[in-house]
Amino acid sequence: MNDFIHHIPAWIDLYKEGDLRSLNLQNLGRYLEEKTGVPFRHQGNIYKKYSEKKLEALAKKFASIKVKDPGGKFSLGVPLRAEIDYERRRIRNPGWKVFGILYEGVLYQKLVSDLIFEGRLSLDRCSILFTNQLFGTWDRDNWRYHARVSLYGFPSLISIVGLVEAPAKPKEFYLRKQMGTPIESLKEEYEGRFLDHGDSRMTEVLKGYAMQAFLFHLTGDPFCEDRNCRLFNSHWQAEVLHSQMDGQYEFCPRHEAFIKELKDRSPFSSLSYLSTSCQEADDSITRIVNSR
Amino acid sequence: MTHHEPLLGMVGYKMIGGIKMSEKKPIFTPVSEKEVTRAIVAGFARQFIEYVESDCLIIGGGPSGLMVGRDIALKGVKTLIVERNNYIGGGFWIGGYLMNKVTVREPGQKILEELGIPYEKAVKGLYVADGPHACSKLIAAACDAGVKFANMTIFDDVVLRKGNQVCGAVVNWTPVQALPREITCVDPIALESKFVVDSTGHDACVVKKLEERGILKTSGFGAMWVEQSEDLVVEHTGEAHPGLIVTGMAVATTYGLPRMGPTFGGMLLSGRRGAQVILKKMKKK
Repeated sequence: MNDFIHHIPAWIDLYKEGDLRSLNLQNLGRYLEEKTGVPFRHQGNIYKKYSEKKLEALAKKFASIKVKDPGGKFSLGVPLRAEIDYERRRIRNPGWKVFGILYEGVLYQKLVSDLIFEGRLSLDRCSILFTNQLFGTWDRDNWRYHARVSLYGFPSLISIVGLVEAPAKPKEFYLRKQMGTPIESLKEEYEGRFLDHGDSRMTEVLKGYAMQAFLFHLTGDPFCEDRNCRLFNSHWQAEVLHSQMDGQYEFCPRHEAFIKELKDRSPFSSLSYLSTSCQEADDSITRIVNSR
Repeated sequence: MTHHEPLLGMVGYKMIGGIKMSEKKPIFTPVSEKEVTRAIVAGFARQFIEYVESDCLIIGGGPSGLMVGRDIALKGVKTLIVERNNYIGGGFWIGGYLMNKVTVREPGQKILEELGIPYEKAVKGLYVADGPHACSKLIAAACDAGVKFANMTIFDDVVLRKGNQVCGAVVNWTPVQALPREITCVDPIALESKFVVDSTGHDACVVKKLEERGILKTSGFGAMWVEQSEDLVVEHTGEAHPGLIVTGMAVATTYGLPRMGPTFGGMLLSGRRGAQVILKKMKKK
């Protein structure tokens, strides 16, 4: 565990992309605020301020970062017209539901970072994007791309689709799927043992991932080795559900103490900013940041 | 043993298929072999000449191709489907593992209803129908809408015009391809159309031909992911190149999407989306 804190951000900015009906972002934001003492801002759809002029170029970039062969070396693609049109429709529609394309995670993060920070990266904002799209990163251990739930950085990306698809389901689920049992039947049979799209547990589970993103922002180390801690890096659905819902405690004693200390150190721990005007809050933040 | 009807060869009549037949005369009107041959040749030639130029040439008579054909022909679009096999319907006769039940996921069953195909619910969101019933109904619906077929006909190449606009296909008899060139060298012929549809499944034959010519580059399909590939295939269905509409599994190959499994809703809906694209473009023209 790395407990060296680089910088306590002034805000936690929550962004969204696509259809996230199973996630209550307001609820999640309040949780983060309560745990960290840092206020959150619901920034809404990540593309809302994006101009029509730049849309074509952005759509083309997204279309060119698809991982087409998870077992092969990634190379930037030259997208066809229909692929660019697909991305354009996806970007323009805040409630876009379709997913299934695996994007190159690091490049996806770069595109999103350019949108959020516009070239002026700020540690004062812990930015987290919740998306319904799927991204993956190259695994150097077994030389292939793997879908991921989260990719921490500036901003951090958390995928609700990744949360369903990336952590492995029970082994027998895959065996029976291979033998031809329809996925719909398997879902009925294994109901509750893994997260599914639109799952009512999604918000609760994602609180832990959002805390990992925040810890990454502070220390560069988002994970804990204790499988009862919400910061555990789960690879199986059973581990996800255990660490986020059924663990012995919310955070392991070390992280619990760390988070408490962090909250005490946070200039916003009393959440007094809530009773002040926005301008006062901004002034207060500026003073605190300058005094550090 | 009592006979209520006269036996064959006796004076009287016999009922065959509800038709009263005199037993003194042969059942069928006598025609000579040459008349049969003339009828086949004339009928084929008449239709072929008429369809040497069409509004839409669909390569591949599987579920997505049939669906495109049916939907546009209903709107009066002159449509010819080229199918390399003798039989039409592609893989729609059977589901996975050669079992003749086909499945569709919600909302694919709405098309089954529209076509009058009986189905039943398997589990929530999944419906199952008899392959032979579903496939024959879809073929019949395409025929009833006015689609014509050139079966046992294989796609050989594309016809290109200015700006590499696709406006037809070069075809040949399917058996010609099976013979060694030393024995037979039968030149193909060309058919012209305003639009060509590639519904050749994951072979994506028409798209691949453009790729061979360096006009576009495909990605090849990824691993099977039934749940999401159907949505993606429908969303990517459309014009891949001027004059060329891609539908069904060919979409997955063209854009490197996950492969669809043995569920057919995506193919039917992709066909419908392809038809919408064609109708919209024809309206503009």
